[in-house]
Amino acid sequence: MLTAAKNQLRVSALSIKYNLMREMTNHASFIISVIFMMLNNATFIIQWIILFSIRSDFGGYRMKQVMLLWAIACSSYGIAHILFNKAFTISDSIMKGQLDSFLVQPKNVLISLITSETNTSSIGDLLYGIVVVLIVCPEKIGIYFLFSIFSAISFTAIAIQFGSFAFWIVRSDVIADYVISSMIHFSTYPADGIFKGVTKLILYTIVPVEFVNYMPLRLILHFNFEEFLYVLLFSVGITTIAIVTFYRGLRHYSSTNLMCGRIN
Amino acid sequence: MRKYWFIFKTTVMESIQYILNTIIGFFTYFIVTFVFFQLWVYIYSDGQNTIAGYGLKQMVWYVMLTELMWFVNSNHTLLSQMSNDIRSGGIAYGINKPYHYLLYCVAKHFGDIAVRFVIYLVLGVLLGILFVGPLDNFCLWQLPFVSITFILGMTLNALIRMLINILCFWMEDAKPIQWIYDKFIIVIGTTFPIEIFPRWAQGALRFSPIFVITYGPVKLIIDFSFPLLFQVLAAQLAYLVSVALIMYFLYQKGVKRLNVNGG
Repeated sequence: MLTAAKNQLRVSALSIKYNLMREMTNHASFIISVIFMMLNNATFIIQWIILFSIRSDFGGYRMKQVMLLWAIACSSYGIAHILFNKAFTISDSIMKGQLDSFLVQPKNVLISLITSETNTSSIGDLLYGIVVVLIVCPEKIGIYFLFSIFSAISFTAIAIQFGSFAFWIVRSDVIADYVISSMIHFSTYPADGIFKGVTKLILYTIVPVEFVNYMPLRLILHFNFEEFLYVLLFSVGITTIAIVTFYRGLRHYSSTNLMCGRIN
Repeated sequence: MRKYWFIFKTTVMESIQYILNTIIGFFTYFIVTFVFFQLWVYIYSDGQNTIAGYGLKQMVWYVMLTELMWFVNSNHTLLSQMSNDIRSGGIAYGINKPYHYLLYCVAKHFGDIAVRFVIYLVLGVLLGILFVGPLDNFCLWQLPFVSITFILGMTLNALIRMLINILCFWMEDAKPIQWIYDKFIIVIGTTFPIEIFPRWAQGALRFSPIFVITYGPVKLIIDFSFPLLFQVLAAQLAYLVSVALIMYFLYQKGVKRLNVNGG
């Protein structure tokens, strides 16, 4: 079993490596997209400079906290899209019946599928997060990496969970897209103070940015074991649910007899 | 012009077939405006009645309408199809037809967004009324004037996007420039009115595309005045002519560089 897991990890690592190599064939284009993605994220600093000139704090968040919130959002998005980009378009593959080439491989279907594609501009997101943390609080870089990985895993699991509904519901990609885009929108604004009542409840449940972004931020700033346990449990829980949902759904999968080839 | 009208009409008919997708797509707009609505409610909750001359109601309507202009105007033709055509050589199918490729793209783009614009406008206005109530100063007689600035603003935004896509004749991928342009308009042009920026920046912003694409048309809805209308219209026409000329010139140069791989 350990050997099988080791083999699977090796195959996935190779898949990601070849994805990256393929995307980096044109060096100039690759470097430009990474740099521009960093600049793209940096434009929001202007937004927050203006907002902080109007009001000095947002529910206890000052510039440092907001920048850290952005750093976590960017790096979790970055890691998830570098390693598991296909998880975010999983419903599309299901609807088009494109899982055949993964089903015939003697490897884990879900892992092979989600690691089969890489979004290289997301390297810019990850680097932006790192640069921000190095400027704002370099002493927290270790714990920041740890929680970015947790957030990326949870983020990917949520995408798989909602994307897998495509096994049962036609055009459920719309639901998955909305949940993901809502998570991205909510994750870069301070929740405490701004969002109240039902909105806050949604942020704990349907669009769980509380566990993916806000709690990790609080843990980076002031570590406490109770919240760490919540983040850990959520990460493990949502990943388990996503895996179970995907494999339950896979029983309903039907091929479209689409002829296609995979390069890696 | 009849052929472009025909392209516009057929694209409208096509988008009507997917009307449910358009209505469902409104949800993303709802989420974005809802976040901003909550943000501004929070900011105004500390007792400030006006910020840079805008009350809560005016500020929320400003964001809702600028976001509406932005959301409606982002579609597949301008975001990816045109640049993909140039990069893949698929443009060869467009330039040998009895129409001008650029005008074809403009007609297709407006055909794509026409139905969406109407749906988003109706739902967006209802949402705005639900959030903060109707605008106090707006009168129906202002509508024809405002509509002209809205259409010109959206046309200009489409032309600037096309201009960026044309850069694909020289660059591998113009997407990074699209990102920066997007963020420039979203962060500076849709979130805040120009008056909120420091005085030194306001002058520059009044000469930027933001003034003609988002700020000008929406400011006219919030606080209409004829001097502002003439100012916005003059700036929009000046921008329109300049961008169209640059685009035409670059397109003519770019097409000569085109290499089509047979297959």
